Amino acid sequence: MRQLGLGLAVVAAGLAMALQTARADEELPIGVIAAQSGSFVSAGNTIVGAANLAAQQINDAGGIKVGDKTYKIKLYIRDNRTDVNVTIAAARELVNDIGVKAIWGTETHDFSVSMAKITGPAKVLQFSGNSSLGAVLDDKAVAEDGWLHYTFQSEPQEWQRSGSTAKGVLSLLTPQLKSPPKHSVVFVGNDATGQYLSSHYVKALEAEGQKVDLVQYPPDTTDFSPLLTRIKGMKPDIVHFWYNGDSTLTAFPQALKLGVAPSYFLFGVDPGIYQERSLKADVPVTMSCVPVCWGSSPYPEVKQYFDKYFGLGAAKGPQSSVSLLYYDYFFWYAKALEKVGKIDDPDAVVAELLKSDYKGVVSPVPLVFNKHHQVTFATEVCMVEPNTSDKFKCAVEQPPAAPPPGDNGG
Amino acid sequence: MPMIDQSAGKTGGAPEGVRPRDRLALLTADNAAVPLPAGVQAITAILLAGLLIALPWLGLGYRFLSIAITTLYTAIGLYGLGLQFGQAGIMSVGHAALMGVGAYASAILSVQLGLGFWTSLPFAMALSAIVGGVIGLPTLRVGGQHYIIITFCFCALFVIVLTNGGTFTGSATGLDVGSVTPLPGINFDKLSNNYYLVLAALFLALAATYLIGISRYGRTLRAIRENEQLARSVGINVDLHKLGVLMVSGLFAGLAGVLQLYYLRHISPTLFGAFPSLYLALMVMLGGARYLYGPLIGAIIVNFLPEVLNLEPVDARIAYGICLLLVILLLPGGVGAGIKNIYLAIRGGLETQGGGSNGRA
Repeated sequence: MRQLGLGLAVVAAGLAMALQTARADEELPIGVIAAQSGSFVSAGNTIVGAANLAAQQINDAGGIKVGDKTYKIKLYIRDNRTDVNVTIAAARELVNDIGVKAIWGTETHDFSVSMAKITGPAKVLQFSGNSSLGAVLDDKAVAEDGWLHYTFQSEPQEWQRSGSTAKGVLSLLTPQLKSPPKHSVVFVGNDATGQYLSSHYVKALEAEGQKVDLVQYPPDTTDFSPLLTRIKGMKPDIVHFWYNGDSTLTAFPQALKLGVAPSYFLFGVDPGIYQERSLKADVPVTMSCVPVCWGSSPYPEVKQYFDKYFGLGAAKGPQSSVSLLYYDYFFWYAKALEKVGKIDDPDAVVAELLKSDYKGVVSPVPLVFNKHHQVTFATEVCMVEPNTSDKFKCAVEQPPAAPPPGDNGG
Repeated sequence: MPMIDQSAGKTGGAPEGVRPRDRLALLTADNAAVPLPAGVQAITAILLAGLLIALPWLGLGYRFLSIAITTLYTAIGLYGLGLQFGQAGIMSVGHAALMGVGAYASAILSVQLGLGFWTSLPFAMALSAIVGGVIGLPTLRVGGQHYIIITFCFCALFVIVLTNGGTFTGSATGLDVGSVTPLPGINFDKLSNNYYLVLAALFLALAATYLIGISRYGRTLRAIRENEQLARSVGINVDLHKLGVLMVSGLFAGLAGVLQLYYLRHISPTLFGAFPSLYLALMVMLGGARYLYGPLIGAIIVNFLPEVLNLEPVDARIAYGICLLLVILLLPGGVGAGIKNIYLAIRGGLETQGGGSNGRA
């Protein structure tokens, strides 16, 4: 009986200590706004998946030590339903009702821009993956009193990505074709992101010596055959599908049936999903991922990342690799908070992010933000052998040093 | 539910001494023309205004308030659609594009000439009205489904023009504007102030709709709606009135578009395409185009239903479809009609209980 009493006392003391430890951990509220439903769900799911994994790993490792306190990340995830009004309402809620310190998202240029007009005045950091933010991230916008001072673009500048992608695609496809490719057709959705991305990619292909035709399709197109037939009449050497992975996965089989071109490039389609869906083509097909691909990468840390990412229940989508545009930045943000020693000094955190670097899964060299709050890293381009779904040859292409002629950067 | 349709006197189900079987007919009837006592109308208006004014003070949070702002500026656009459809019988499925005309006009004036909210507002509203009139020209020759198709085409064309308009329209990326120019002591960056700005505009829209509804002009519109040939034969200038109401509708749409622009502070063509236009038509049908509060009710249902029931977009569309079917089958006059009918039924019941077989005490 006495032993039982002693045991109970020990258990009680242990519980009390555990409770005390739990009380010592403060909460760091972080918001995530992403499309978990609606037409951008494939991209939106990657933000949520990356946030869940990063928060779990940071918390499991003991949290973030800021000054004499330890903070555990508490995620507030909001579905924007691919609707700008819901995005705004969610941003207001996270910023004003909950008081988050930073927000990750969204997947769409328009939504991210509208959101930045709420996060900026509230001095809440915003990490968005849209490279099209390059159109608005300039000296004035990111200045201390600028409306994008607290916004960071976690995707490389588009001329960099376009340059490395174009180079990688051409170097992989050229040996596969009877003669070096000279004529490319860029087939892209005619929306904000599509227009922005293709404007850079066309210049990048031209810089590589390609004659380029641009064909745009209305967003939400499902029957691509009229446009693809038109493209076939142009006799291209390569058709480049940009940028929406879901649309590409609808259009690509139609192109194969019509025999539109002797080779293809699929943007926004991971090798992993190509394999999952058992897609096959009798011609060489290339894919690219920023930063690294799911389903083919030879790097062990990338494989580990995707095992953990999917292990946590993330959906296998056409662009699961996009999750890496969000994952590393949690750790980088945590590192900046620890360095600053305060969670309520966003200006100091911004300054710290701009002068620090972070070596994550994304890149073999540490990530660095430039003066316009944009990062630089390489692109992985893979080619699947004809008539196979899982035999990939991949290469990492570094971004060019400068924008090609006619591209003003951004 | 105050009415704005007073042209025909008591054409709906009367509440006097109704039998139980007739009660259902009463509840599902379109009683837009049944006048309500002035006291009831006044009390309803005061209660509604009080509730809307008090909303930011109820502690419902910024998320709720944000969706309330969306609801209110949508409702302002709907009052224009309600006038042209409910009063004049001219349906449009391209109304979002008219809002877009106002929004883009204001944004372009801001970007190109540096005009702010207050200075660009009248120009934007006037342009929307003119465009509304120009699109309305075909209604002088065609009506019904033909005009609906024309508005749909206008909507599609408008989006194409914006998407390919280069730096002038911002292409698919769209345009950005700053905050609403502050008034002395009022900074509209504060969400509650922004809400009151939109609410004030809604009150104006409500008042204008009410005044048009009870005016000779409103009665003329309803005469055209009921029988265009007859209206023409009694000397009504039908063409002029049709164009007039479409221009008034354009004014409302322009106002709503500018408010939307300065709430989002960023616009792009997708906001004014086919889907948003169809949603506006859905809202006005759900709420009831012939009822003063019908458009507001429709806007509340469509904006808050996914929020309250946590519906995904696809589920929400299914829910809207079911709601629309139910409204068409059970409440052809919209939810506004249903609320008014409930009041009429209760009043009839009370009066029946109060004495007399005719239901009057």
